Amino acid sequence: MSTATIQDSSRARRSRGGSAPRPPVGAAPLERSRRRMFWAFTAPAVLVYFVLFLVPVGYAAWTSLYKWDGIGPKKWKGLKNYQTLWQDPTFRHSLTNTLKILIVGGVLTFAFAFALMLILREMNRKLFARSVLFFPCLVNAMVFGIAAGILFSPTGPVDKILEALGWSHPPQWLATQHLSTMILGTLIWTATGYYSAILMAAVDQIPEYLYEAAELDGANAFQRFRHVTLPMCWDVISVCAVLWTVSSVKIFELILMYGGSSGSQPPAGSWNTAMYVYTEAFPTASTPQLGLATAAALVSLFMVIIFTVVLRRLLRRDPIEY
Amino acid sequence: MTPRRKARSLPMRIATGVVWVVVAADIVLVGWILLTSLRSGTDILNHPFGVPTHPKFSNYSKVFSDGGFGRAALNSVLVAVLSSVLAVAVAAPCAYALARRRNRVSGAMSMTFAMGLGVPGQVMVVPLFIGMAKVNLDDSQPGLILVYLGLAMPFTVYLLTGFFAGIPQVLEEAAVLDGAGAVRTFTRVILPVARGGLVTAFLLQFISAWNETLFAIVLTHSQDKVTLPVALSDFVQEAQLNGLDWGAMFAGVCVVLAPMIALFSWLGSRIIQGMTVGIGK
Repeated sequence: MSTATIQDSSRARRSRGGSAPRPPVGAAPLERSRRRMFWAFTAPAVLVYFVLFLVPVGYAAWTSLYKWDGIGPKKWKGLKNYQTLWQDPTFRHSLTNTLKILIVGGVLTFAFAFALMLILREMNRKLFARSVLFFPCLVNAMVFGIAAGILFSPTGPVDKILEALGWSHPPQWLATQHLSTMILGTLIWTATGYYSAILMAAVDQIPEYLYEAAELDGANAFQRFRHVTLPMCWDVISVCAVLWTVSSVKIFELILMYGGSSGSQPPAGSWNTAMYVYTEAFPTASTPQLGLATAAALVSLFMVIIFTVVLRRLLRRDPIEY
Repeated sequence: MTPRRKARSLPMRIATGVVWVVVAADIVLVGWILLTSLRSGTDILNHPFGVPTHPKFSNYSKVFSDGGFGRAALNSVLVAVLSSVLAVAVAAPCAYALARRRNRVSGAMSMTFAMGLGVPGQVMVVPLFIGMAKVNLDDSQPGLILVYLGLAMPFTVYLLTGFFAGIPQVLEEAAVLDGAGAVRTFTRVILPVARGGLVTAFLLQFISAWNETLFAIVLTHSQDKVTLPVALSDFVQEAQLNGLDWGAMFAGVCVVLAPMIALFSWLGSRIIQGMTVGIGK
C-alpha cells in the first residue's frame, strides 16, 4: 500500500516538474537508469520503515486519546489522558527525573567529554586510553546497575576504600533518595567516553595549519581553543546535543536494574518517563493503562522535539568550509 | 599529523594523571566483574576485593541450567545476527539510492528517515506489542527480529547514506559505459567497495540488538524465547525471592558482558570509527 502511494506521488511530482530542465534522452544513460531504479532500491526500506516504525508512532498518538486496557473496548478520552498525567505526582516526578538527566547530565557529560578530549589529545598512548574509556557505552547498562549493587553496598569495595582513606561514614549510596543521583552518575560515566571520542574524531579533522596560523598570530592555548577548535567542531557539537537528547530520554534498563536488589519494580523515586510508560502499560498487579502509557510516551517524544528544535536554533552557526 | 610542541605544564600533567586513574579504574572494574563471577556469594559479601582462589565454575552452570542462559544466549545471537543482516540488506540499496539521487523526493525521504532518529523507543513499545499480538508474532523470535529491523532503519539508512556519498561516482560511470545495469552496478561494483561500511553498519546494529532490553522484555517471556537481557532481569528478580546469590548473578552479568569485550578487543577501532565519524556527517 505504501509503495503505491509513493509511486503515485512520484509520478505526480514528475509531471508537475515538467518545466524543470531534464537531461536529453540518451545523453545520460546513467541518469536514466538511476531514475528508474530509485524506487526499486528504496521501496523495501521505505516499506519496513513505514509499517514497523511510522505506523506504530501514529498508532501511539491515536491510542493516547483513549482509555484502554488492551482487551476491552476503547473509551474516548481526548486530551484528558494528558491532563491525568499532569495531575499524577508519580508522572511529574518521572518527568522531573527525565529533565534532570537530560539537562544536568547533558551539561556535565559535555563538560567532562570536552575536557577529556583536550587532555587525550596531549597524551601518549591516547588511542588506548580512548578505547578503554569508550568501552562502557557498548555494554548493556544492566551490567553496571547490578555491579553497583555490590560496589556501593555498605560493606562493598567503594566504602572499604573510602574507609581506608579516612571517611568512616560514607553516605548510604543505594538508599532510595540517592538512587536517581547514582543513576545519573553512572550514566555520565558511560557517556563521557563516547562523546569525547566523537569530539576527538571531529577535532582530528581540523587542519593543522589553522593552529599554526593562530600560533603565529600569538594566540595562546586558550585562544586557540576558543577561536579554532570550538568553531571548527561546532556542527558536531550540535549533532551531539541532539543525540544526547534522544538517548537520555529513552534510558530504561539502567533504571530498571540499578542496585540489583530492587523488587519487581524499582522505587518510583528513580523512574523516568520511559520507566513510567513501561510500568503503566505492563504492570505486574493492576490493569494496564495503555492510553495513559502512550500519552506519557508521546510527552517524551514532544520533549525530544522541543529540545531538538531549541538546541538547533541555539547552536546554529554559519557553516565553515575548509 | 605534524608533531606539535607538547605543553607539559603542571595542570596538564595532573589532568593526564587523573585520566590514567580513571582508565585504570575502568579496567579494574571490568576485571573485578569477571573475577567476581567465579566466587561464592558469601565470599563476595565478606571480602569484596578477594581473588577466586578456588574458581567456582558452578556459578556458570547454575545460570546456564537454572537461569536458562544457554537458550537465551542462543536466542540473543540468532535475533541480533538476523536482524542486523536484514537491516543492512534492506537499508543498503535505499541508502545508496538516496546518496546518489539528490532531488526533492530523496531529500524528503532522507529527512523522514532522519526524523526517526529522534523517536525514543517507548513511543513504539505499546503499538508494536499490540501489533505483534494481532499477527501472532508476540513472544517469538521472528516478531522480535522484525521489531529490531524496523527500529534499525533510521540509523542504518543514515549511516550508510553518508558512507555511500563518500564513494566516487567515477566507478559507476565506468560500469555503465561497460553496459552494466543499475542492479548489476550496485551488486558487482559498489557493494564490494562499500564492504567496510556495510560491516560497520552490521556491527553497530548487532551491538544495539545484543543489548536491547525494553522491547525484549515486553515482547518475549517464555523460557525458550527470551534473549539474554530478559533472562538476566528474570534471574535477578527470582533471586529476590530465593535469596541473592551474587556469584551466580555476576556469572549472568558476564554472559552479557564478555561477548562485547571480545568484540571490542577484536574490532574496537572499527566500532569506534563507525560510532564517531559516521555521526558527525
